[in-house]
Amino acid sequence: MSSHNSASANDPRQPSTAKPFVATPVAPQELPIDYAGFIAVVFGIVGVMFRYKICSWLAIIFCAQSLSNMRNIETDLKQISMAMM
Amino acid sequence: MKSHSLLSLFLSLLIFSLSFTPLLAPDSHFEGFDAEDDVVEDEPVDLDSLHRVTDLPLTQSESTSSPPITTTTTTTNLDSPDPQSDPDPNPNPNPTPISSDPQLKPSAPTTSFDYWDEDEFEGLPVHQQPQLETPAVTESAASTDQTPDTKMTEEAKNVAVLKKNSYTVEIVCVTFLIMFIINYFTGKRENENLALAWATKFATKDSIFEKNFSLLGVGEGDDSPLLLKEGQNVFKFYASGRRYCSGLLATMELKGRHDLISRLYNLVVPCKDEITFEVYMNDDSMDHVVFAMAKKKTAKIMQKEVRDLNKFAGLITAPPAPKKWVVEDLGVASESREVAGDLITEAVLDQVFGDKAFEKYGKGFISMHFSDQHPGTHRKMLLFKFALPDANNIGDMSRLVALVPYYIDLIGRYKLSPQARSKTEAARQKAAQEAYKELQNARQEALQKKKAERRKMMEEAEAKLSAEAIRRKDAKERARQMKKGMPRVKMTRAH
Repeated sequence: MSSHNSASANDPRQPSTAKPFVATPVAPQELPIDYAGFIAVVFGIVGVMFRYKICSWLAIIFCAQSLSNMRNIETDLKQISMAMM
Repeated sequence: MKSHSLLSLFLSLLIFSLSFTPLLAPDSHFEGFDAEDDVVEDEPVDLDSLHRVTDLPLTQSESTSSPPITTTTTTTNLDSPDPQSDPDPNPNPNPTPISSDPQLKPSAPTTSFDYWDEDEFEGLPVHQQPQLETPAVTESAASTDQTPDTKMTEEAKNVAVLKKNSYTVEIVCVTFLIMFIINYFTGKRENENLALAWATKFATKDSIFEKNFSLLGVGEGDDSPLLLKEGQNVFKFYASGRRYCSGLLATMELKGRHDLISRLYNLVVPCKDEITFEVYMNDDSMDHVVFAMAKKKTAKIMQKEVRDLNKFAGLITAPPAPKKWVVEDLGVASESREVAGDLITEAVLDQVFGDKAFEKYGKGFISMHFSDQHPGTHRKMLLFKFALPDANNIGDMSRLVALVPYYIDLIGRYKLSPQARSKTEAARQKAAQEAYKELQNARQEALQKKKAERRKMMEEAEAKLSAEAIRRKDAKERARQMKKGMPRVKMTRAH
């Protein structure tokens, strides 16, 4: 059926030229910067250093944000574990 | 699969964070909590001592010899909650002889209190004790003459204030976290619904993409999923198998609905759900075309900032006179007027970009950019950028989506006129030459740098070598001269 379709002039479909989707691997450097994770780490450090509990709480919140924004689990787990510490 | 693992991960985080809260609270707030506990637990003790103080006058009136001792016992009792700061390591021996006095038999509870007291403070660090106790002790000592009721209320007030202060942050943060989590799931659902609405409208059976492309979806086989989810707000749709182009990739970048913080941010700075179509044209089916259209401001910015537009295209200010033209809101950048005139056809003006149609159907239009000089792996590419309407009115953008296959065909068939082609050819050759020159310049610079570095190295090495050589020469010469002198000496010695 598809060959018939490609033969007809009105149908623009050309199954013979179809290429399957190739996901372009994205380098970790090209990922959008994880601001939330960065902020979480900063707050976490401040919270630990000066014993401000509000900073620790903010760190947890931003950590949750960065967790919800992550694209793929493998690359981001490292940062999150860092932030959790 | 992915969403499952993500969900479980998130839940584990939640559990972890919740288990973290009681840990965190005493840790970060050690002093406050202890103070409260101590104050609460001290109260019966104070009352006890107070009762005894009120009892005292009776005992005093009965026997005149004991009063000094009883007063001392009361003071020791008041101090006794502080065993560590007490110079005497064991406070018990002090009250026991006094309790042997028959009149102070009711002070048995105090001794038991002393025992309890010791146990209570066993595990606590020493340095915190005096800090916490002294205010309570002094207060009780000072307010011995006050009625216990007023004291009670005062302390209760203090405790309430302390508690309020220490818990507000936790309450606010925990409620925010809970709201964040709820919003995560609802927002995720919203985004998915929007993406699915788009896919069902434009990529299922008898829809526009199904009629134009033989392969739909990101996987292989007939049952492949249509959309690829990347993160919580990016969805990709792929189609291939059409004349003139090798593939089409649509990327939906939705608002961060799953993220409460970005949602709040979007209240201040509004943004749109966007969809970008990238059409990878076949190398042989796209002539020299550099063309862009967007809202006037955006078009100006694009002309300045996008490299190929900047190099090859200029803003077209005056439309070709006899023809109808796009709405005034839109700005066009193109390599030549001819290209712009040919690409903006009657049909397109009628359907979307004309004066009448644009109001109705062009609302979601953001920009369009066709180029055969695209930087990157695919040089010949068509880019369309539209704003997505909400999930219920997804059909509003059907005319915009219809532009995509229309322009694929239009550009696939398009051939420049010979004059225009010669011009563009010259421009491309020039650009290619420039690029080549730049490349060569860069290469030469790199080479020169390397050479200079090598020369420097050589010179340094030479300098070292030469210094060494001079030294060696000197040494040799000296040795030779020594040799010259030696034999004579030897000779003389030998003789």
